[in-house]
Amino acid sequence: MRKFLGKRAVASAVSLLLLIVMVFFLSRLTGDPTQLYLPVDASLEAREKFRELHGLNDPLMVQFGRYVVDLAQLDFGDSIRKARPALDVVLEAFKWTLALALITMALVTVAAIVVGSLAAFRVGGLFDRVATFFSLIGASAPDFWIAIVAIVLFSVNLGWLPTSGTGTIWHWILPISVLFIRPFGLILQVVRGAMITALSSAYVKTARAKGVRPRPVIFVHALRNGMLPVITVIGDQAAGMLNGAVVVETIFGFPGVGKLMIDSILQRDFAVVLAAIMVTAIAIFLMNILIDIAYAVLDPRIRY
Amino acid sequence: MRSVYARLLGGIAAFAVAGPVLAADTDIIIALNEELEVVEPCMASQSNIGRVILQNISETLTELDTSNGALKGRLAESWEAADADTWRFKLRSGVTFSDGSAFGADDVKASIERTLSDKLTCEIGAKFFGGMKITAEVVDDGTIDITSDPAQPILPLLMSTLTIVPAETPLEFTRTPVGTGPYVLSEWNAGQSIVLDRREGYWGEQPVVTKATYVFRSDDAVRAAMVGTGEADIVPLINQNDATNPATDFSYPNSETTYLRVDNTIAPLNDIRIRKAMNMAVDRDAFLGTLIPADAIKATHMVPPSTLGWNKDLAPLAFDVEGAKALVEEARAAGVPVDTEIEMVCRTGNFPNVTEVCEALQQMFADVGLNVKLTMMEVAEWIQVYSKPFAEDRGPRMVMAMHDNNRGDPVFSMFFKYACEGVQSGICDADLDKMIADATAATGDARGPAWSPVFAKVHNDIVADVFLFHMVGFSRVSERLDFTPTIATNSELQLSQIKLK
Repeated sequence: MRKFLGKRAVASAVSLLLLIVMVFFLSRLTGDPTQLYLPVDASLEAREKFRELHGLNDPLMVQFGRYVVDLAQLDFGDSIRKARPALDVVLEAFKWTLALALITMALVTVAAIVVGSLAAFRVGGLFDRVATFFSLIGASAPDFWIAIVAIVLFSVNLGWLPTSGTGTIWHWILPISVLFIRPFGLILQVVRGAMITALSSAYVKTARAKGVRPRPVIFVHALRNGMLPVITVIGDQAAGMLNGAVVVETIFGFPGVGKLMIDSILQRDFAVVLAAIMVTAIAIFLMNILIDIAYAVLDPRIRY
Repeated sequence: MRSVYARLLGGIAAFAVAGPVLAADTDIIIALNEELEVVEPCMASQSNIGRVILQNISETLTELDTSNGALKGRLAESWEAADADTWRFKLRSGVTFSDGSAFGADDVKASIERTLSDKLTCEIGAKFFGGMKITAEVVDDGTIDITSDPAQPILPLLMSTLTIVPAETPLEFTRTPVGTGPYVLSEWNAGQSIVLDRREGYWGEQPVVTKATYVFRSDDAVRAAMVGTGEADIVPLINQNDATNPATDFSYPNSETTYLRVDNTIAPLNDIRIRKAMNMAVDRDAFLGTLIPADAIKATHMVPPSTLGWNKDLAPLAFDVEGAKALVEEARAAGVPVDTEIEMVCRTGNFPNVTEVCEALQQMFADVGLNVKLTMMEVAEWIQVYSKPFAEDRGPRMVMAMHDNNRGDPVFSMFFKYACEGVQSGICDADLDKMIADATAATGDARGPAWSPVFAKVHNDIVADVFLFHMVGFSRVSERLDFTPTIATNSELQLSQIKLK
């Protein structure tokens, strides 16, 4: 296992470095941050001063060399827009994204597994049909639309919840609910499919024949074997959230890393873009390691 | 175990209700459309930074009264021209900064040097003090001489843009701004909110608002909804489509002018008949109340009507499709390549409905026989075609832009937009250059009359651009407040002007 983790770490580090090199050079092709930072009426002299101050006049390879040297000392550079260390800016935003992703994915996982397993137990039954209908709607509904409708209904019309912000526990209910819907629909379908296969296998039939009650049959015998594809999809959905839930962050005013990344790309705040990519990539790498460990725990045949 | 659960539930309950409780009636919440990236006084010319800092935390020597265009004192009690290029300012006495230190001429000198320093990129310096050298000399603690090279007749007006900080403020962007204003920054929760508290010891009248919390919501609909749900008291910027409640929604001239900057140097746009035809092709009335707010004004100047020297005799060329067609044909007969494709560049997100406005303009130009291709650009790409240096191999091109001049003097617009050396100028005319230079140097009562013919030359004689509209902005204000947004709301939001009903 240790050898496997070492190999994965090296492979991820190489991918990350290649990504950083690509993003560094490609982002520089998209335009000069001076144009966006200074007012349009700024003189050419003021623009020159800005470039000089931020090292933008240096040849690209010199800028890259400087970036690599700084990075080796864990210095990600300063945000041009926010005038402070880019890593601080990213970590401040990432904590919100991480909290949102962890809470939402925990709720999604539990709910999708329970509902999907029960739906699979009686395929074609009323519960299965209702669950399938709503999960398909959830998986395909655009989240910006759901978010706006939810605000109009629960905040503006009913006045039950705040429209946006982060101040209290009530502020988290709408964003989490909106983020919940799509992965819930998707994972529920995967759980249902995997459980239909597991529940029709010989060992489940044997257990039923021996008089084991439905609940242990579903949640002990079948679920463990049906979980491998489910974990893969959970990992995929969680990775998407760790990259930032841009729509939800924008509408609900959540200061997460997704919106930060989009804003930084639009404003050519290169240091923040690179730091955000680095932080989210490391988070996704760690999550993939956890998934690999979960595979090994669930399936004794898997050995690294 | 029971006590652990009790504590846990207590914690959750406390988290659940934290925030809205204990708010006084005189506390207000303001929802801005984007997060402040910095709270640096020398960046207060950026709209949202200005709405938090300008005249709330940091004050200026002078202040423009947008209701009548007059300049009044703020930290300066009076000023006078000492000689051709030097102004002497008498400073207000008994003023202290929020850190308790006394305000004096040394602070003014240090603020000027800091704002214009090579070590910082201050927007106020880049925007208002480009192309000039400013030096300050302390006469005594309450008097300072400020000299400009070249001479600036509007130096007192320029000082209405420059925020004053204590002399000890380091040469780096601060996160804890200290100013002489009636409020002090008490909290900055990055990404979430900024809180200003009223401070004791302010030199002027105590404002009614005791505390202002600024929150950031980029979604237009959500921001607008927050007043109705009681989560905000003022939303300085809402979408025109959301401005539907007459009791809370206000439109105000926002000092922005939309226009098509025409490159007068390349055929067929170098022919005045074509430029006239384009102006006559635009049915401005059709836009008003549809794609453009009904309160917007058809533009004839690069500056809003409240600007010094506004020429009331100018009127837009009348919408006349047949007349425009005739001009195009006349130009064709004279050998002008009128069928050449003209690129019209518009900027995504420039103002609400910009794409639809540009598509409509493209059709209007086609209706009079011009071959116009529309290109939508994102801001970084757009700036490169809007500002010099222009590409050598460019074709005929128009650029849709929106220009802001809220300082009341044309000098902040006309050189940049119309002088040969202007960064965004699409023309070069020696006579116009001289008129701009003369008007820039004019002083006192002669200044307004010096600018009027400049506007006429641009609009009537050269027909340099296609002016569209002086725009309006929309704000939503809670019914419990006594506050009416004005043209100043585009760049500042003085809490001291907000009263309760």
